[in-house]
Amino acid sequence: MKRGIIFGWFLTCLVLPYFCAQALGEPYPTKPIDLIVAYNPGGGADLTARLLSGYFSKVTGIQLNVINKPGGGGIIGAREVLTARPDGYTMLCEGHATSSMLAAFQPGDLPFDWRKRTWIARMTKDPVIYQVRMDAPWKTLKEVAEFTKKNPKQLRWGATGVSGVGSPAGIQFFRANNISLDMVNRVMFPGESPVLAALAGGHIDFTGQQYGPSWGLIEGKKIRPIAVIAEKRLPLLGDVPTVAEAGYPMLDVHGWHGLTGPLGLPKQVVDFWVRELGKAHKDPVFHEMAEKVKKEVAYLGSKEFEEFVEREYQKYLALAKDVGAK
Amino acid sequence: MDLFGLLLQGFSNALSLKNLFFALAGSILGTLVGVLPGIGPTAGIAMLLPLTTLLPPIPAIIMLAAIYYGAMYGGSTTSILMNIPGEISSVITCVDGYEMAKQGRAAPALAIAAISSFIAGTLGLVGLTFFSPPLANMALRMGPPEIFGLVVFAFSMVASMSGKSLLRGVTSAALGMLICLVGLDPQLGVQRLTFGSVTLMGRLDFIAVIMGLFAMKEVFQNVGIEARRISSARLGSWWRMIKWSEVRQSLGAIFRSTLSGFFLGCLPGCTPGIVTFVAYDIEKKLSKNRANFGKGAIEGVAAPEGANNSCTSGGFVPLLTLGVPPSTSLAVLLSGLMIYGLQPGPLLFEKQPVFVWTVIASMYIGNVMLLILNLPLVGIWARMVRVPYFFIAPLILLFCFLGTYSVRNSFFDVGTCLAFGFFGLILDKLKIPALPLVLAIILAPMMEASLRQTISMGGGSLAILWSRPIALVLMGAGLLGMTTILFARSHWASAEVI
Repeated sequence: MKRGIIFGWFLTCLVLPYFCAQALGEPYPTKPIDLIVAYNPGGGADLTARLLSGYFSKVTGIQLNVINKPGGGGIIGAREVLTARPDGYTMLCEGHATSSMLAAFQPGDLPFDWRKRTWIARMTKDPVIYQVRMDAPWKTLKEVAEFTKKNPKQLRWGATGVSGVGSPAGIQFFRANNISLDMVNRVMFPGESPVLAALAGGHIDFTGQQYGPSWGLIEGKKIRPIAVIAEKRLPLLGDVPTVAEAGYPMLDVHGWHGLTGPLGLPKQVVDFWVRELGKAHKDPVFHEMAEKVKKEVAYLGSKEFEEFVEREYQKYLALAKDVGAK
Repeated sequence: MDLFGLLLQGFSNALSLKNLFFALAGSILGTLVGVLPGIGPTAGIAMLLPLTTLLPPIPAIIMLAAIYYGAMYGGSTTSILMNIPGEISSVITCVDGYEMAKQGRAAPALAIAAISSFIAGTLGLVGLTFFSPPLANMALRMGPPEIFGLVVFAFSMVASMSGKSLLRGVTSAALGMLICLVGLDPQLGVQRLTFGSVTLMGRLDFIAVIMGLFAMKEVFQNVGIEARRISSARLGSWWRMIKWSEVRQSLGAIFRSTLSGFFLGCLPGCTPGIVTFVAYDIEKKLSKNRANFGKGAIEGVAAPEGANNSCTSGGFVPLLTLGVPPSTSLAVLLSGLMIYGLQPGPLLFEKQPVFVWTVIASMYIGNVMLLILNLPLVGIWARMVRVPYFFIAPLILLFCFLGTYSVRNSFFDVGTCLAFGFFGLILDKLKIPALPLVLAIILAPMMEASLRQTISMGGGSLAILWSRPIALVLMGAGLLGMTTILFARSHWASAEVI
């Protein structure tokens, strides 16, 4: 009898906290969170993921495990998150290439409805720099355009695959000048580094690529920047005009990254991240860390983020029609 | 300060207790990453990247770099002992290495792999120390047409890897190219051979394919056959197991593979996989012992193992001097540098001399550590051949499953590995060699990219090749190699029915 009571008490002690936790809503996070990157380590999305993971582990002690799930131009990794259990422990390091750009250029390949996700916040932006080979005769974007119009099939334009900003950045530039893509030699590369190496070696003439991977070669005078897509001139590239100054205010392709999760995340999880990311983007420590990896901190809250991505999608949809994407 | 002064200063920094500790930690982890199939240097470095938030830049990069070059030391272990190529860079080591193990010569194979790795790695570092800027400029001059030339040259190796029947070799290479086609077209994102499956859009994992073709096939083949016993295995301490004559016999292979591995390693897009094939093929053509290749020639282990190590040293040339990582593993290392705000590029050596030279000096030290670490391990590993095969076989299966799963955390890849095990059996029955298939898997993506780039550079025509002498020479060399082999073949095997 006595033993029964003791056992019963013991059981209650074990089980009670569980029900209490259920009633109050479990605290979040109680364990490390998987942050999925849909690309190989070393790319733009990966750098943002590692920036977030590094910042949070250092400043708040929240553990974000960066997990790379590359393949299918980002589709594999994105699907992994969007079909995961919405408990807040599988999140996506979101970016242009896993949402707006992917949906516009590869609609036929998507095994999921790309809009159906929980949008939390945009954190960083990657300015794009239009650049030419070091010994090229052109000093401005206008000169590149003029040359291309006068000499069809001469300009060798370095583009990256579907998921990089390199393709739309070039397409938008040529469209702004009424240059059809048949008039340029489009040389496709699997990623930013190979394009930039080819530009530095003089094998191609012109490309538009993100700031981070380009900087080392620009600084070392192996490639020449002619204009940047950004509102203001970049601090380290004071003598390079913005596209607006160069006469092309309509050019606005750039990379961005942020945080999303599967549809139906608990309110508590969303609130948690909105609060934490809202604090982070104001923290000078975060800014300092972002500057090192050449990322611009550009926070957008949940609602604005969703609207922003929709606008981006419409923009790329128009460009995609030009190149005849499926 | 001159180069020697800088390097000496680097050594004095690298020899501090803290930096030595991290070089050692990286070397041990690297060896481990190399030994475990599937987990390559990319995953190894990525796993430890979070440590960068805790450590100052120099020890952290010392450790990450050590994981990268250390992995090439461990990679040969499973290839030699169990015919499991843990990474693409150690496939070719299986050919002669596993053959040597079957003959009871696992110990000399493992020892020569360590020695060759050390010599090639260190000489590669000498190249990195003294010739980085000119080499980087040379690497930049190798554009898509030159890479295409190189790939054509490399494809000519199919001829020498085909064994007796060229037709079978070419069939094998064609199958390899077919495997590479599965997935999204890397340039425009068009689906190829995916049959609407999202999983296939992510292409077949090459590591799963090669592990299936080699390790799984070996296990399947031995099912139901009474396990062989290796009675005459040389065992004991490592220094008694390798003969000086064997080292001397391999020296030529080691030095030649160092050169080829290092120069190819400097090129963007040239992975250790290709380099090992090239080094092996060169030895197969030049070595005095060439008749024994494929039957347990020690040079056949020394050459690829040397080449993949000098290739890793070479890879640091474009990474540090241009900020262009030639492989995925080095791209992760680049992230590590960027997290610290260290921008690799032509100015890195000027702006951060202390950092650069300390890391380079630590790489010399790391290579010595790896040699000291790996040679005593030889004795332990070599004892494994005494373990009966019925006990080893399930272990091989376990390693393959774990290894293939760990690459992309995907069960589909485990299935791929199994399927290719059976496929390997079928190829064996049809007497189709597997090596050309693996070679094609490595080369086809490069060939497709560089060919399409070359065509678009020339505005839709290949005529541009006439203005690229390096590309022409490489292609010519490939054709020459192929015709000589065909000629020789028709000479000594005129009775052979293809």
